[in-house]
Amino acid sequence: MGVEFVGKRGALFWLALKTGFFTILTLGIYRFWMKTRLRRWYWSAIRPGGHPMEYVGDPFEKLLGFFIAVVILTFYIGIVNLLLMFVSFSVFNSSWVGYLASIAGVIPIWFYARYRARRYVLGRTRWRGVRFALEPGAWGYAGRAMLYWFLTIISLGVLWPRMTFLLEKYRTDRTYFGSAKLLQGGRWQMLYRAAIPFVLALVATSGVAAWLLLIDPVWPDTLSDVDRAIRSVYLLLFQDGEMLSMNWPERLFLIPLCMSALVYGAIHYRWATKRIMANHKSADGVRFASKIKPPRVTMIYVLGISLSYSVLVFGLALLILLVIGALGFDAVLGDDIAVMADMPQWLSFVLLGALYLGVFLLWGVLHNTFVTFPLMRHMALTTTLPTASGLARISQRTRDEFAEAEGFAEALDLGAAI
Amino acid sequence: MSSNRSFDVTGASYFDGDVPLPRNVRTLALTDDGATLEIETDQGTVSWPAGSVRRVSDMAKQGAAILRSTTDPLARLCTPNPFVAAALPRANRAAPPKGRMRLAGWALAAVGAVAVQIGILIPLLADNLAEYVPPAGEQALGDATFEQIREVLSETGTNPIPLCENEKGRAALDQAVAKLTDDRGFRQDIKVYVLDHSMINAFALPGGYVVLFRGLIDAATGPDEVVAVLGHEIGHVISRDPTRHALRSAGSIGVLGLLFGDFAGGAAVLFLTERLISAQYSQEAESGADAFALELLAEAGINPGALGDLFETMRRKHGERDGVAAHFLSHPALGERIDAARAAEKDGANYTQSLDDAAWEALRNICE
Repeated sequence: MGVEFVGKRGALFWLALKTGFFTILTLGIYRFWMKTRLRRWYWSAIRPGGHPMEYVGDPFEKLLGFFIAVVILTFYIGIVNLLLMFVSFSVFNSSWVGYLASIAGVIPIWFYARYRARRYVLGRTRWRGVRFALEPGAWGYAGRAMLYWFLTIISLGVLWPRMTFLLEKYRTDRTYFGSAKLLQGGRWQMLYRAAIPFVLALVATSGVAAWLLLIDPVWPDTLSDVDRAIRSVYLLLFQDGEMLSMNWPERLFLIPLCMSALVYGAIHYRWATKRIMANHKSADGVRFASKIKPPRVTMIYVLGISLSYSVLVFGLALLILLVIGALGFDAVLGDDIAVMADMPQWLSFVLLGALYLGVFLLWGVLHNTFVTFPLMRHMALTTTLPTASGLARISQRTRDEFAEAEGFAEALDLGAAI
Repeated sequence: MSSNRSFDVTGASYFDGDVPLPRNVRTLALTDDGATLEIETDQGTVSWPAGSVRRVSDMAKQGAAILRSTTDPLARLCTPNPFVAAALPRANRAAPPKGRMRLAGWALAAVGAVAVQIGILIPLLADNLAEYVPPAGEQALGDATFEQIREVLSETGTNPIPLCENEKGRAALDQAVAKLTDDRGFRQDIKVYVLDHSMINAFALPGGYVVLFRGLIDAATGPDEVVAVLGHEIGHVISRDPTRHALRSAGSIGVLGLLFGDFAGGAAVLFLTERLISAQYSQEAESGADAFALELLAEAGINPGALGDLFETMRRKHGERDGVAAHFLSHPALGERIDAARAAEKDGANYTQSLDDAAWEALRNICE
């Protein structure tokens, strides 16, 4: 059984633009509707066996969940932050301890919220009328996530694949489609294969770094003196010609090359692990196969993100120019930009605020159109169900009623992904 | 049956909401009274009241429809035929809302929780804890905040805004501060700085910082007015208002961050809101600092009415809106504060000017 993808990019662009615009008009309240509608659209575009997925999340439910999360978190975060700051200043005479502790305190809630959000999304997803579900277990997930992160850090990343695998297994083994339970098979060691490009990039980067700095230094006489090294880079950039002697400087082009290789390695790891693990997921009588291509995913990221970021940067530049105009630094820039300086102050603030929100709106819309859309399409089209005979034995499951929906994720800023 | 309106069923399938297998739809028809949609499948016929059928919205595929009935939340009828939905009276209506009272309840609770938190709990806790922050802690807090403020105010954005340290001016300033603070044994040393910025304002920070802007010195008509402002800010320092304020901000920033979520880069909105909230100390803190300043001035033999004169000058110069507004003018009780300062001025008392003319001239040129 194959998976089709039927959505058109243009339709999504208008939906994202329209709902994003409403979100701005309502000062953010409409974002719950925006997310629901975008998800409904994406889900309906994905059609395993020719039948659309359906997202039945309710924006009111999301709004309610957000309120619940605010009520609970407000006390935790407000009071805890205040106490941390107090201790930080009283005992350590500095704010940094307080900031760090306050961030550290949110980490378990962050994992908790991610699991709860996934549970909500799965609980409100149907295919052929049958519900998906994720069993409760958010604190167990948060505890394991913190433990695996700790092990990953102290093993200098060697145990990273173990973390990737075990966290995905924790989630998959609690996932249901109707009465059918999903199982994550395989072993964590199989993910090392996905890390090969990243490891190669890391080795190459270390090699290049050693070559440029130690074995045959680009700046032979500046090795011991960091200040002079920085100054020589400065001279290179701003006063060409007066540069002190450099040994074979063309080699510096290896640096961006190495950086790109590292980024590719990271993207490759993330998506290749998804593919490997998808190929080892199964339910009784149902198997999955994925042919996700990490190079393709990388192209989507590079093109989509550079497109949406260039719009963001362009918009912000425009915004900064207008701010300068509005705040009356017109003497510096000449009179032509200073139109806004003559308006009443509140009006220029309103205009600037609208422009600020507009820039972010456009960025979000482009990100949906040129990153999320092609990623979804690629994932859908590369997934198949080679065995699906088990579907006949599946029956409906009861609804997962849980009040706070993705409220915690929403309140903690995790809701950016679809 | 002949008058029933029947539809083309090519590609249509029905899902019973139990088994994930499509049922082949043999016929699809609206009864002659238009009241019922009859779906005849391989495994029997399903009847949906026509008025209960809704179309699932925001579909990626144009034309094709997924239909559901409000009488059965799980069953679905998928059909690529757009005329089915077009023939149904309420296909585009929203599904009936549910649980709205509960939503309103939680919304109120959320608003209440935030209000209680920011309005009562955090201030209460901050006020009490502020008493226990040791001087070294206050010092660290003040140092950090002062640097931040100087960086924010700098127009170039690279170097912090300069301090005014002209030698003669500094001596005059120290002389003025000494008049107010000598032999009083405040719990903290007072450190007074002048920032080279045209804003007509002054503020206090934890750790005994009192900061004047050049604009305030320029706007004052005599040394007593500047000294009166010094007294007011020292009053804030003595009653730990800045420390309270810093603790409050630490608490309320997190709470406001929650409310705005990830909407359009919440941090920016958050920053603006926090600024708005923190622009002022409470009215009690302000009148407390006023009272402190008036007493200090009187003890030093300086005319306490100078504080009123300064407020008056500001009001004349800037109306009720600009410049110093954030700190003094927008207070509703400004008139009362002027009156209080005037009342502290005793007839027949022998006031001396806080600085002689030469020293005042030096103070005015402290930023040269």
